[in-house]
Amino acid sequence: MAKAGQHVVPNGGKWSVRKAGATRASGTFATQGEAIERARDVAQKQKTELFIHGRDGRIRERNSYGNDPHPPKG
Amino acid sequence: MAEPPFEQSVFINCPFDPDYDAPLQAILFCIVDLGFVPRLARERSDSAEMRVEKITGLIEASLYSIHDLSRCVAKKRGEHFRLNMPFELGIDWACRRYFGSGREAKRFLILEEKPYRYQAALSDISGCDIQYHAANFQQAVRKVRNWLVSEASIAADGATRILARYTDFQGWYFEKQLAAGFSDEDIKDYETSELLAAMMEWKDAGQPILPG
Repeated sequence: MAKAGQHVVPNGGKWSVRKAGATRASGTFATQGEAIERARDVAQKQKTELFIHGRDGRIRERNSYGNDPHPPKG
Repeated sequence: MAEPPFEQSVFINCPFDPDYDAPLQAILFCIVDLGFVPRLARERSDSAEMRVEKITGLIEASLYSIHDLSRCVAKKRGEHFRLNMPFELGIDWACRRYFGSGREAKRFLILEEKPYRYQAALSDISGCDIQYHAANFQQAVRKVRNWLVSEASIAADGATRILARYTDFQGWYFEKQLAAGFSDEDIKDYETSELLAAMMEWKDAGQPILPG
């Protein structure tokens, strides 16, 4: 069964990693790159999705490390 | 679809341009999350109806209004600044002043991207409470949440928790659209009317993390 994904989201001037449904971020980082690195690590271990949000708050990239039911075509 | 109640309707008067889509969508999410119904001119697509008629209908039907005057300044030389937003604020103001039938209870939030610019463009509203969001979606959600909670005297979660739910909604929406045959690029078009419908569907479904 699919699990809650990891989100990399802007948080003021910083970037946070937050599991979907969690009340708090699991970590906050100075750069988006550091946050992505951490979130990717967790998503790979938990075999789930990674959503990277842009500064505007919207998802700009999705990567699946689980059993992706919707793999990219081509 | 039945008309939402006057007391739950929030008229949105804001720029409809790509640069404003992200803050607008976050604002819409905040309004839906707080249990209100955003009312936008683009929700009514009857082409025979004049746009201004649509606008006045929505204004009369909404206790709350959010007027964003961020486009009171042209972005580049030779570009016209936008008059629709101050015009619609004027209609809303007149509705509250002259319409009667309970419209004197109407409540307004005036938003701007940067402080003090409106004073040069629309000095008549000097003295009104104007909030600034710096074109930042988190700031916009905070301002809208605080105003609506205060005006409607409701208990509500803080902006941080609302923003966390916005993140959850987006993950759910992305997966739902993928399952419906959309590509990543299709989804990232983020069409506002479709997103708004999905926000209401998500809330009605109990805010699930994953699509059913």
